[in-house]
Amino acid sequence: MVVEFLGIPRQRAGVSELEIEAGTLGQLLSNLKRRFPSFAEFVVEDRLGPSLAANLNGDRFVSDPDTPLRAEDCVLILSADAGG
Amino acid sequence: MAFGYHGCYLRVDVSTGVAKRIALDEATLRAYIGGSGLGVHLLLTEGAAHLDPLAPECPLVFAFSPLVGSPLTTSAKFAVVSKSPLTQRINDSLASSGFAVAGKGCGCDAIMIVGGAPELSVLVIDGDGVRLESATGYRGATCGETEQGLRERLGKPYRIASIGPAGEKQVRYSTISHDGRHAGRGGSGAVLGSKNIKAIAVRGTKRVEWAHPQELTDLSRSLSKRSLGPATAKYRELGTATNFVTFNRFGTLPTRNFQTGTFEEGAALSPEEMSATHPKVRKSCMSCTIGCEHIYALGKGKVRVEYESLFALGSLCGVSDPDAVLRASQRCDELGLDTISTGGTIAFAMECVERGWLSEPWLKFGDGEAMLRAIDLIGSREGLGDLLAEGSRRAAQVIGHNSISIAPQVKGLEIPGYEPRGLQTMALGFAVGPRGADHNRSGAYEVDFSDKVDRRNVTLEAVKHAIETEDRAALMDSLIVCKFLRGVFEDFFAEAADMLHCVTGWNATAAELRETARRIVEAKRKFNVLAGWTPEEDTLPERFLNTTLPNDPGASLSRERLQALVAEYHRQRADNDEALARRPSWPNRHLP
Repeated sequence: MVVEFLGIPRQRAGVSELEIEAGTLGQLLSNLKRRFPSFAEFVVEDRLGPSLAANLNGDRFVSDPDTPLRAEDCVLILSADAGG
Repeated sequence: MAFGYHGCYLRVDVSTGVAKRIALDEATLRAYIGGSGLGVHLLLTEGAAHLDPLAPECPLVFAFSPLVGSPLTTSAKFAVVSKSPLTQRINDSLASSGFAVAGKGCGCDAIMIVGGAPELSVLVIDGDGVRLESATGYRGATCGETEQGLRERLGKPYRIASIGPAGEKQVRYSTISHDGRHAGRGGSGAVLGSKNIKAIAVRGTKRVEWAHPQELTDLSRSLSKRSLGPATAKYRELGTATNFVTFNRFGTLPTRNFQTGTFEEGAALSPEEMSATHPKVRKSCMSCTIGCEHIYALGKGKVRVEYESLFALGSLCGVSDPDAVLRASQRCDELGLDTISTGGTIAFAMECVERGWLSEPWLKFGDGEAMLRAIDLIGSREGLGDLLAEGSRRAAQVIGHNSISIAPQVKGLEIPGYEPRGLQTMALGFAVGPRGADHNRSGAYEVDFSDKVDRRNVTLEAVKHAIETEDRAALMDSLIVCKFLRGVFEDFFAEAADMLHCVTGWNATAAELRETARRIVEAKRKFNVLAGWTPEEDTLPERFLNTTLPNDPGASLSRERLQALVAEYHRQRADNDEALARRPSWPNRHLP
């Protein structure tokens, strides 16, 4: 699947997007934490901390670590307080 | 009198120069706290709802708060509250920094200004009293020139809040500026301009006592430490401008007067791109540990960039040239113009030109130079600028062709950078907002960017969440603390009670402060009712209710659904009001 980073997550990851394999949202976050140690401060166990949010395919926001992910999915990781 | 307060406000009649200190009892202060809440209460006591906002007798209030002057991070803030000349409804705008501390140091919890000075003047309030000095030498001066000049003339301990040329010309969305920041929305600059007051200079060193200084110090340290954590990283490291990329990705970036939600040339306006060509530095307001201000170099000058300015003067006008957008933002700051209403009104005019309803062929989407020309015309009220200085709602009434259907406003206040069809909880927040379409009095967009709702198809379940963000904002604006702290709090109302306890000594609880927040929202609504509000005002322009968002066919909002959301909002608010009214603690007597 593709992960897109926006805002602070992009700063931490150093890339705007990458391809990665994961069966659930929790697995994805664990993989990201291993790959980008500076990302770790935003992940509490297998969930995103309150300052970040995850969105599936630009449609719905997801937080349950058991949320299933498909190979064709695009997960967007962004700051939770999206306003100004 | 409670700790943290002086227990009075200063009422200055600038027609005569006479100032009076009027007592504020502790029950009133506990009921409205300060900032927006106290300001609205004072306007109600003066009967301001019935007055023409640009008439001399209509009051303008600078309201401080119990936290001002304390070591709590972001607490150096003040509210400017008046009836809006743009909306004819309540208007409360907030700004930050030394003016709040020096103003409260004058020994009052608020400064109310009424009357009209005989000539363009600066109102000076200091330890020697209150006086008017001529400001005719500053006629036409920018906000920055006025502030710098007056500090050189009066001395550095003075803190200055001033209007620019737009305020002098009573542009209906002109601002009051202090230290590069603006009490921006709703036209408080025009209200001050109508009183012939170019600036207010305050100098004061009167301190208030705190009830529990050691606890306050400990709490302040803890809050400051948390304010440096992940919850505020976005503001520190990138600034609000980073929203531009996020909103464009989600197709919710208002573009070309809300004709679509995606700006194909948007990459040029990302903070990453702009900072590559325009070096930037960070700056903080006084007493703030976050440091959200990202100041970009622009030629020999500099300009502060926020998302709302970037959207309003960029995608909304179809302009992708970073230099043009930065210059436009800088020019608005100099003239003292609200960037959201400026961009919104110009974008509306651009679409009217495109449709053949307005014969100003030079004013085209995407033309940065045309946008800059329009800004200068607005600031001076020359030519087309005289019409656009009235805001999009009044301009639509003159232009005709049912152009009101595409005027991007609610209650006359131009809509900020959130596409309502794709962010429908925010659409509700806009529709019911007491000061019009607003993202600072309702944080409902947060709900849309969460798993609580389907943002393109919200149900009545969204209403309670929208109300929660509105209540939280009302309390934050009255304490006052910066909304950029909101992610730092685990339970904001409980922590707010702790702050108030340390400063005032009150044993306030989270439950009490929830009631206080609702009371403040209710006071704003009461003001609007007295000013002539009708339920029909709580809606959105037709564009949003009869067309699908072109870039996102799933994003449509029917009139019936919005009406159902609004009705449910009012039902829940009424239930709250009735429940509160039945309680002995509900201080109805504070609502005159």
